[in-house]
Amino acid sequence: MAIECEDQELLEGFLTETTELLEKLDDDLVTLEKAPSDTELMNGIFRSIHTVKGASSFLGFELLVKVTHKTEDVLNRLRRSELAVDPEIMDVILEAVDLVKLLVSDIKGGDIVDREIDGTIAKLLPYLSDNAKEATVLKQPAPATPPLAAPAAEQGTTAAPPPPAPEPQAAPEPAPVKAAAPSPPAKAPSPPAARDVDKKADDLSDNSTVRVDVKRLDDLMNQVGELVLERNRMMQLNTDFQGGGEDSAFGEEFGKLSKRISFVTSELQMQVLKMRMIPVEKVFKKFPRIVRNLARDLGKEVDLVILGEETELDRSVVDEIGDPLIHLIRNAMDHGLETPDERVAAGKPGKGTLILSAAHEGNQIVISIKDDGKGIDPDRIARKAKEKGLVTDEQLAAMGQREILDLIFLPGFSTKEKATDLSGRGVGMDVVRTNIKKLNGIIDIKSELGQGSEFILKLPLTLAIIQSLLVEVEDETYSIPLAAVLETLRVEEREFHVIGGQEVLKLRNSVLPLMRLQKVFNVAGSDRARTACYVVVVGVAEKRVGLVVSRLLGQQEVAIKSLGKYLANLPGIAGSTILGDGRVTLIIDPAGLLENSDGSGGGRIAA
Amino acid sequence: METALQTRVEVARSELIQLVSFKLEEEEYGVNVLKVREIIRMPTITRVPNTPHYIEGVINLRGKVIPIISMRKRFSLPEGETSSQTRIMVMDMDGELMGFVVDAVSEVIRISESEIQPPPAVVNSAVEQECLSGVINQTERLLFFLDLEKLISRDERQMFSGIL
Repeated sequence: MAIECEDQELLEGFLTETTELLEKLDDDLVTLEKAPSDTELMNGIFRSIHTVKGASSFLGFELLVKVTHKTEDVLNRLRRSELAVDPEIMDVILEAVDLVKLLVSDIKGGDIVDREIDGTIAKLLPYLSDNAKEATVLKQPAPATPPLAAPAAEQGTTAAPPPPAPEPQAAPEPAPVKAAAPSPPAKAPSPPAARDVDKKADDLSDNSTVRVDVKRLDDLMNQVGELVLERNRMMQLNTDFQGGGEDSAFGEEFGKLSKRISFVTSELQMQVLKMRMIPVEKVFKKFPRIVRNLARDLGKEVDLVILGEETELDRSVVDEIGDPLIHLIRNAMDHGLETPDERVAAGKPGKGTLILSAAHEGNQIVISIKDDGKGIDPDRIARKAKEKGLVTDEQLAAMGQREILDLIFLPGFSTKEKATDLSGRGVGMDVVRTNIKKLNGIIDIKSELGQGSEFILKLPLTLAIIQSLLVEVEDETYSIPLAAVLETLRVEEREFHVIGGQEVLKLRNSVLPLMRLQKVFNVAGSDRARTACYVVVVGVAEKRVGLVVSRLLGQQEVAIKSLGKYLANLPGIAGSTILGDGRVTLIIDPAGLLENSDGSGGGRIAA
Repeated sequence: METALQTRVEVARSELIQLVSFKLEEEEYGVNVLKVREIIRMPTITRVPNTPHYIEGVINLRGKVIPIISMRKRFSLPEGETSSQTRIMVMDMDGELMGFVVDAVSEVIRISESEIQPPPAVVNSAVEQECLSGVINQTERLLFFLDLEKLISRDERQMFSGIL
C-alpha cells in the first residue's frame, strides 16, 4: 500500500521528528531500567511515545497508532507505579519500540507493508490487565533460558538490572525476548521481526538532511561576507595595477591581501567542516542498549561508561564507525570480560567495566574501547592462528608481542571453539579492520593479561579536506595522507636489508617492510644519483610499512578531488588534489598499497 | 495529418548536425559538437601510474581533475610529437569530462544526417569498428564519424574486469 498523504511536508516533518524521538528512546529506556525511580525520565519517555502516537493518528498510520497506543498504556501504568520496572517489561517495551521503528522506516520507504504487529501487542497486553502485577510475578519462573534473567529480574525490582551489553550487529534480543514473552503465541514471530528491525533502525538514522545550528549558519554568512569584501579588494587592486600602479606598493598590498584571504578561507573551511560535524553521540547512544542485551545473553554484569560523547566528527566518518565499534564492544563483552564468578575468583569486582571514550587529538579523533577483563593472551592467539593454518612456526618466531596481537585481525581467525550467535566465525575483527582501513584510520591494541585490554581507533576528522605530506618520487610529486603517517626517516640505502626478497629496514626493535614507490608506481628513474632517501612510515589499521621516497617536500592541507569514474579504483591511489601552482598531484591510498603488497613482497601492484 | 507526420520525419532525417573535425595521422575524424565542451592546448599532465598506456594522465581544468587519453595511443598509431597544433578536446562522456589528445582540430562542419553513411564492413582506418558510427563522404574528403562514448564505456568495462 502506497502512502497517501496530501501534505508531503507534513509527512517529512513527522518522519524527522519521530526518528529523533525514537533514537533517543532506546537510550532513555535503558537508563530508566537502571534508575526506575527517575520520574522525570519516565515522563519524558511517556511524552515521546505519546507524541509519536498523536502524530501518527493524525496522519492516519493505523498500525503505528495501535502499537504506540498499547506501549503508551504500559508506560502509563509504570508511570503511575502500578507496575514496577523490571527487565521483562523493558524487553517487551524495547521490542515494541523496535516495531515502531520498523513501521516508521516503512513509512519513510514510501510503502506501508502490512506487518504482523499482534505478536508484540499480545506481549504488551498482560501488563495492561488488572492483575498485571501477578502476570509479572507469574512470568518469573518462565525465563529459564537466559542464564541471567532471574537474578536480573530480582535486581530490577530493587535497584537496577545489570546494565548494558552489546548486541550482535543485527539481532537485538532474540533470547531474552522469547523468554520474557508471557504469551506463547507471540514467540515465533518475534526474533525475525526483531532482526529486521535493527537493520531498518539503522536506516532510520540515515542522513540526507542536516540540522544546522542557526548560530553556525550566521557565522558562515559573516565569513562569506568577509570573503566578498576581500574579493572586492582584490579586484580593486587589479584595476589599480592595470592602470599603472607602482610595483612595490602593489606587492605590499597584495601580500597583505593574500594573508587576509588565507585567513578568511581557513575560517570558512573550519566553519563548513563544523557544519558537517555531528557528535559521536549519534553512534554511541545505540550502545547502552546493545550492551544491556548482550550482558543478559552472556550472563555477565557490565557497567558501560561512555566518555566524550560530545566529541564531533564528520558525518561520513560517523556513518562508518558504527559497525566496527559494535564488533569491538561485542568482543570485549564476549572474550574480554569474565563472568561474575570468574571475576570474583580473580579478585576483581563481580561487575565488569567497559569504557567507551572519544576525544580529539590534533587532527584525529581517538576512540577507545577498554575493558577490565582478562586481556588477550598472546600465546593463545599464536596457538590458534597456527592451528587454523594462518601462520607458520617460522613466521611466529619472527613476531613480536604486538605482531602476534595483530593476528586477531586476520580473516578466519577466532579463538572460539565453535561459532555462536555472538561470535566465533572469525569475521568480526576483519570487519573492523576493513572499515577502519576505508577511513584511513589506525588501530592499536593494548592488552595486559588479567588486567584487561584496550582497542584504540585513530580516525581522521574528515574525509574531504586532509592534511597531507607531499613527497617526491624521482621527478613526480605524490601526496600521502598525514593521518596515516607515523614518522619519517632519512636513511642511507645501504641500511636496507633483504629478507626473503622483501626489502626491510630495522627500525628500533621492529622490522619494517619497505615499499619503493618508484617501483610501485613505475616512475621513470631520474639521473640524479643519491644514496640517501627518505622512508615514510605509514600505518593502516594494524599494519605498518615504510614507503621509500626520494625527497620530502612538506606538509599541506589538500582538498581531495575524485579522479572520476574512468580512473576510479586505481590500486594505491585514493584521489588527486591540486597544488598551489595548479599542478595535479595524486593522493596515495596507503590502505590500497598495503593490500596490494600482500604476498607480493612489496613489489609492483599491477601488471 | 499523415502528411504532416511524414514531413516531420523528412525533416528529422535531413536534420543538420554539427561535427567537430580533427586530425589524427593524416586522417580526418568527426565527433558530435554537442559532446565537445571545449578545446584546449596541452597543459602540464600528471602521469597516473598503473593505468593503460593510452591514458596520458590527469590535468587540472579550472579546479576539476579530468583524465586525458591519447587518441594516437588508444588507436595504436605511432606516437607523434606534440606540436603547436596539438589540442585536447574536452568532451562530456556520460556526464563526466574527459580530454582526448588529437593532432589538430580543424573546424566545425555542418552536415545533414542523411550524408552519414553506415560504416563499411572493413574499414581502412585505425579506429576500432565499435566506435565508428558512420562515414561522411564529401567531395575530396572522407570523414570518420566517431562515437567516443562507446569506446570509453568499453574501456571501462575492461578496466574493471582487470585487464588493465
